Amino acid sequence: MRGFFIHIHLKIMNESTEIINEILQSLGIDISYRTDSITLLEKGESRYLRDLKLNLASILTSEHLSTKECALIGLSTAINNNNPLLTQFFTRYAEEQGAIAAETAEAAGCASLLASNNVFYRFRHFTQKEKYGQIPARIRMQLMMKPVTGKEFFELMSLAISAVNGCEMCVNAHEDSLIKLGTTEERIFDAVRIASLVTSAGKVIF
Amino acid sequence: MCPEKVVHLQQTNNNIKDMITIGQKFPECSKTAVVSIEKGKEFETITSDFMVNDDNVWTVMFWWPKDFTFVCPTEIAEFNKSYNEFRDRDTRLIGASTDTEFVHAAWRRDHDDLRDLKFPMLADTSKSLAEDLGILEPNEKIAYRATFIVDPTGIIRWVSVNDLSVGRNVKEVLRVLDALQTDELCPCNWVKGEETLSV
Repeated sequence: MRGFFIHIHLKIMNESTEIINEILQSLGIDISYRTDSITLLEKGESRYLRDLKLNLASILTSEHLSTKECALIGLSTAINNNNPLLTQFFTRYAEEQGAIAAETAEAAGCASLLASNNVFYRFRHFTQKEKYGQIPARIRMQLMMKPVTGKEFFELMSLAISAVNGCEMCVNAHEDSLIKLGTTEERIFDAVRIASLVTSAGKVIF
Repeated sequence: MCPEKVVHLQQTNNNIKDMITIGQKFPECSKTAVVSIEKGKEFETITSDFMVNDDNVWTVMFWWPKDFTFVCPTEIAEFNKSYNEFRDRDTRLIGASTDTEFVHAAWRRDHDDLRDLKFPMLADTSKSLAEDLGILEPNEKIAYRATFIVDPTGIIRWVSVNDLSVGRNVKEVLRVLDALQTDELCPCNWVKGEETLSV
């Protein structure tokens, strides 16, 4: 009985390590990599590791986005979240899916610009004071004029970043703008789904 | 301040075109400009066509009355020092006067502050552009110190004209450019009940 227990215990431990290895390998990270949080999940043989692995795998493709688009939204989110490891992974993935340097650059630019807009416009929305709406923002956003990834996709990335940064009216405004551009709700949904799961993975891999 | 002699000019108003103003199309033109002092690479043709573009490039054109004599090269040098500031604002800078391209080139070679100018010096030798813009001083037929900001659709969005002896403030030109360009393009700027911005 005692032998049996140890056997099961070891088997589960190996499984946790195995899943961690699989996650790391899929991201091109050395399998010796550990963060404190991964170590906790590993030691506690957390079932969450399976969720994490499958969630991560599920954002690399979408029915409603090309693989390149998945990669660029992942990249923009990773940059918004200051996550170097996921930034490196999604840069490679985007390049493998045919993204040119101007497109990965735009994902970076979008993350940085939306970070300012999400803070600034959220403030305006929070206070709802007429005065703050009248003073010019003086935030340059010429990047939005003629995006290389296209107006619709830039809006989609902007929406995903705004969702991560929790700007309610930014999200509603970008969503509204996308619907007017003819984007399907499924496509919008998947973009936000990717951004949410990249944010989730970034809590343990960074 | 300019050390040059200020010449008092008597105003005569016969047959002088009104000055062009905001909301109007920048006049069509094709002019030779000095872009370098390197032999064989001195001249380029500048046309008004490039002002209308899909790349969101703005134009700032500033005029001075005369090479060598009237203008303080310090003012032109100030624009040159701020060249990168204009570049960052997707803005093409052009200097202009009614002198010939050869006078421009000679002045650039002659003056320490002008040798490494990064923007073209347009030669409106026939004075047709200055006339179309309505900035030709009636007696001497030289251009006032006018500055124009032209948007990417070729429409004049700002005009400032100084009398012949009054220098310009480059920072003010940049400030106006910023104010004209910052359109809060993000749909985040959306207010409930308002239509979203269409760009």
